[in-house]
Amino acid sequence: MDNCSSKEKKDLSSLLPREIQGWKAEEKDRSYDPQTIFDYIDGAGEVYRSYNFRELLVRRFKKEGKAEIVIDFFDMASSKDAFGVFTHDLEGEDTGIGQGSTYKGGLLSFWKGPYFVSIYAEEETEETKEVLLNMGEVVASAIQEEGEKPDLIGFLPEEEVDVGKVHYFHNHMILNYHFYVADENILLLDQQTEAVLGRATQEENKYILLVVRYPDKKRAAQAYKSFIEVYMPDAVGPGLVQTEDGLWTAAETKEDLLVIIFNAGSSLLAKEMMKKVEERMGRE
Amino acid sequence: MKKKIITRRDFLRVAAMTPLAGALASSLKAGEKPSLDKARVVLVRDKNALISFNNPRPEVIRKMLDDAVTILLGEKDTVDAWRKLIKPSDIVGIKSNVWRYIPTGRVIEQAIKQRVMDVGVPDDRIDISDRGVRRSRVFQEATALINVRPARTHHWSGLGTCLKNYVTFVSDIPDYHPDSCADLARLWFLPQTKGKTRLNILIMLHPLFHGIGPHHFSRQYTWEYNGILVGKDPVAVDATGLRIMQAKRREFFGRERRLAVPAKHIFLADTRHGLGVSDPDRIDLIKLGYKEGILI
Repeated sequence: MDNCSSKEKKDLSSLLPREIQGWKAEEKDRSYDPQTIFDYIDGAGEVYRSYNFRELLVRRFKKEGKAEIVIDFFDMASSKDAFGVFTHDLEGEDTGIGQGSTYKGGLLSFWKGPYFVSIYAEEETEETKEVLLNMGEVVASAIQEEGEKPDLIGFLPEEEVDVGKVHYFHNHMILNYHFYVADENILLLDQQTEAVLGRATQEENKYILLVVRYPDKKRAAQAYKSFIEVYMPDAVGPGLVQTEDGLWTAAETKEDLLVIIFNAGSSLLAKEMMKKVEERMGRE
Repeated sequence: MKKKIITRRDFLRVAAMTPLAGALASSLKAGEKPSLDKARVVLVRDKNALISFNNPRPEVIRKMLDDAVTILLGEKDTVDAWRKLIKPSDIVGIKSNVWRYIPTGRVIEQAIKQRVMDVGVPDDRIDISDRGVRRSRVFQEATALINVRPARTHHWSGLGTCLKNYVTFVSDIPDYHPDSCADLARLWFLPQTKGKTRLNILIMLHPLFHGIGPHHFSRQYTWEYNGILVGKDPVAVDATGLRIMQAKRREFFGRERRLAVPAKHIFLADTRHGLGVSDPDRIDLIKLGYKEGILI
């Protein structure tokens, strides 16, 4: 298993089936890149761009009298980004396909190696669900390599954080999608930053942990300063503020990392969580 | 003047108010007072509007549109009402929407076109387009626009709205994506669009109230609402559509489940760009047709 980060572009079509259970592929596949994706996907195309996708191959399957099925096969160029785009929407049942999967409402999504795969039936029936799952198995088997998840996830304390529901991303548009922080990019996130966002529970308190890795220590310090100035001008201590809902936000930086705890039930809990994250960072 | 950065804490501060409208009201320009005029929006519903999914019944659709436009304009006669919107000398672009899963569709497009022709605009001075508007001679020279699209949730803007429907007038679409498409109202101040829109029609025959996957679509999350919203103010039309969508989500999910992305562009079109009104108290909503399941 490796990070599957490769500059080499593969023939994606060889990884997809041409026929399953009577559903036959249309003769021609379609292919999109980050510039043309909006011709195919309205709106959500921005999500795949934000994860640096390299190519999208679309294969459409038809069977007379049945709903059409579409495979959207994304070459994300790295397993981190394949995992990341998968974590954008984690709702649904885990089918065990690939290295992580969800099924809901006629849509199967999974990731494996540097690929993210979405298989969609235009109408959900018991039959189409079975076909989708079979197609998923076939595609997952055709992908030989497995990939690693981002190491940043390891900084989140697994006793409190539901690691199956962690989001990995790069830029602030995706951060705001999962947890709104500010309309401007006050954390200085970009395609070079890596971030994980986890939801944690301790006793009654539900709170949010955000860990960001910047290209270097200097950039992390700039982001910390920017966040403190805009988000907590009324800080009661270094990187600590009680927000208008009575909960606490804490921020700290260490080397090239910035850690923020949102919505902690008390300042004590915020500090305790910060310490736990830092301990885990120290182990790396 | 430096633009104020809006953070999560601004929303917390006004949590007791309507979250977005309240927080964003602070972005009104200094000295700017919102108009006290009410924007009229007509919601028309008919149980027989659909033959099947994406297959509306033409004669019912025509009647719904006629009823809505006459009430909106305060006229008894349909063509008289349309004459208040369009002049025979106008060049008219009917801005449609071709989204694969729920398009505007030919039945609705043709019903609108027929009324524009009834006013006296010849066929060669009318065009219906979505992604081709930048190449269309009629749209390039248009003196009047009719904006028509189906309502649906949208991955990046919260809701696919009348406001958003003008995004194909620009080539740099990603420039409108930051902050969950907060400033889509800018599209309404382009030379191709500014001051030209005579009518906004948000189709709610079977809206999509929740989206999944890359295409943000599943039939499971549509419902037969059999409605059409019509108004001159795009912000008022969209704000009304949003209220219906939110009510449907509450009903379906059994709890308050906000859109994954807040449709803040609607409120900002009001408070930041002054394009129209989003506050329900300033919208005169007229309801026609059956009331069962109306959600508003």
